[in-house]
Amino acid sequence: MELINPDVVDLSRFQFALTALYHFMFVPLTLGLTFMLAAMETVYVVTGRQIYKDMAQFWGKLFGINFAIGVATGITMEFEFGTNWSMYSRFFGDMFGTPLAIEGLMAFFMESTFVGLMFFGWDRLSRPAHLAITYLVALGSNLSALWILVANASMNMPDGAHFDPDTMRMQFDSVVKVIFNPDAQAKFVHTSVAGYVSAAMFVMGISAFYILRGQHKAFAARSFRMAALFGIISTVAVITLGDVLGRLDYEHQPTKIAAIEGLWHTSKPPYEPWLAFALPDDARQENHLEIGVPFVLTPLVAHSFDTPITGMTELEEQAGPRIASGIQALAALRRYGQAHDPADLAQFRAHEADMGFGFLAMRHAPGQDVSALSAAQMDEVVRQTEPDILPNVFVTFWSFRIMVFLSLWFFAVFALSAYVSLTNRLERNRLLLKLCMWSIPLPILATEFGWITAEAGRQPWTVFNRLPTFLSASSHGIGYMIFSLAGFALLYSTFIAAELFLMFKYARLGPDHGAHGAQGPHLTVAHDRKDAFSVASSLSS
Amino acid sequence: MNIMRLAGLAVALVVSLLFAVFVGDQGPWYFAWVVGTVMIILIAGAGAILLDAQDEQTSEKEI
Repeated sequence: MELINPDVVDLSRFQFALTALYHFMFVPLTLGLTFMLAAMETVYVVTGRQIYKDMAQFWGKLFGINFAIGVATGITMEFEFGTNWSMYSRFFGDMFGTPLAIEGLMAFFMESTFVGLMFFGWDRLSRPAHLAITYLVALGSNLSALWILVANASMNMPDGAHFDPDTMRMQFDSVVKVIFNPDAQAKFVHTSVAGYVSAAMFVMGISAFYILRGQHKAFAARSFRMAALFGIISTVAVITLGDVLGRLDYEHQPTKIAAIEGLWHTSKPPYEPWLAFALPDDARQENHLEIGVPFVLTPLVAHSFDTPITGMTELEEQAGPRIASGIQALAALRRYGQAHDPADLAQFRAHEADMGFGFLAMRHAPGQDVSALSAAQMDEVVRQTEPDILPNVFVTFWSFRIMVFLSLWFFAVFALSAYVSLTNRLERNRLLLKLCMWSIPLPILATEFGWITAEAGRQPWTVFNRLPTFLSASSHGIGYMIFSLAGFALLYSTFIAAELFLMFKYARLGPDHGAHGAQGPHLTVAHDRKDAFSVASSLSS
Repeated sequence: MNIMRLAGLAVALVVSLLFAVFVGDQGPWYFAWVVGTVMIILIAGAGAILLDAQDEQTSEKEI
């Protein structure tokens, strides 16, 4: 059997990573801003005060720019599964396609339908009806994320499916197991609330810009207050769910957690330090320049003080018997495919759990055929395959740390901002306001690095322990891959440039300016030009 | 009309309880997301209303 050109696999991975990371620059704002709009409109419906309607409409306009430009960038990825990952789609399409189809039919259409009503329905719907529409937009956008993450979780923790030796693919068993997969649950909530953090920082940063310039004071103070409170609780939730995901990885993806922690050898509890800095060397399997915090790693990862965490060297050794067992599974499967002898099927079933490790060994087998290895060849192939079970440690280690350090920064900024806002001392803390402004892109950066941690850490698998990445791609030519990659990079960079231009333009213009959907200049309300005193007077009169 | 409204609210209550029991049992983090999101929205909204009250208090003092 001829394997797919490794350069084509790498280019396919790079193209998917590029389109996913571009798409994910838009997603967090959509997930979070919709619920922030819902919060603002809820206050408007409850209090009847115009300023909250103005807030919902202005931030809704920025949401609209993000939604219009960003939403289409995700569609290309769904096609990429077919064009660039056809072997993966053949093997796992039954599992992966179902949630994607539900996402397209249910959540995406729900979100897209109601977003129109949200923008154009201000004068056509009653206040409660419009509020319900805004909540449905928020729910729809987050349900879109849910189904994508359900699909992704089934790659990380394949549950609710079995391998059929007659069709040679994974077949769907239980929709309940797929939807309620623990990895899907934790990953969805982690991603969704990471979107809340991004949106809160976005609103808070732009509000800080207005306060620094002395513009739209009443509008900015309320937006800032709501965003700070929205953000601080969301940041706590993000960190909590990050811990839950870490715990799940510790139990189900030990190679990922060992790579995240740069743990080459099994830990020595309770002293084992958590590495705040290190330069992992994948080739030599060691770290350089380690700076760690003692006694932190074991409780952080294992939630105990005396449980050793298996290191990557030991995980490699433990993989040896599974690789040998996987080779036997593939040999039995091949014989079963030729003769349909029940004895071969029984032997395959006995080794089925390790089948993926057999696929992994194919790269090192003579002629990429693992079904006819001699004893000596078997030992050599197993030895050569063992290091392949590890992801790129440097990338996984640092992408995780950047995400973690940024989330701690968000916690500090939101906590301080909430305190300063609640004590009405915003205008005296200009440094904090500047920090809020400059922190606007950081949550999006953090979610990008979170995504890199999750996906790079899953390697060398597309479906964990079932299907290696090098067997998942399509057999394209290198020229085709480079051409399409360059096309996507150019197109998506144009989208990002257009988004940034429009966001900067409308954020600078502020809530006083321009039409809002079909509404016309609704935001030219009197209190946008007044100070807090006159606003309060007008509200109480 | 009131009876119909009451019946509607009762049905909504029962559906909500069943939803909470099922999702809380099968998907505790999904349930936490629903409850947590509502809580985040309410706290953010309460913060804004508190700012209105603080402004009114300030203006009354200045008067």
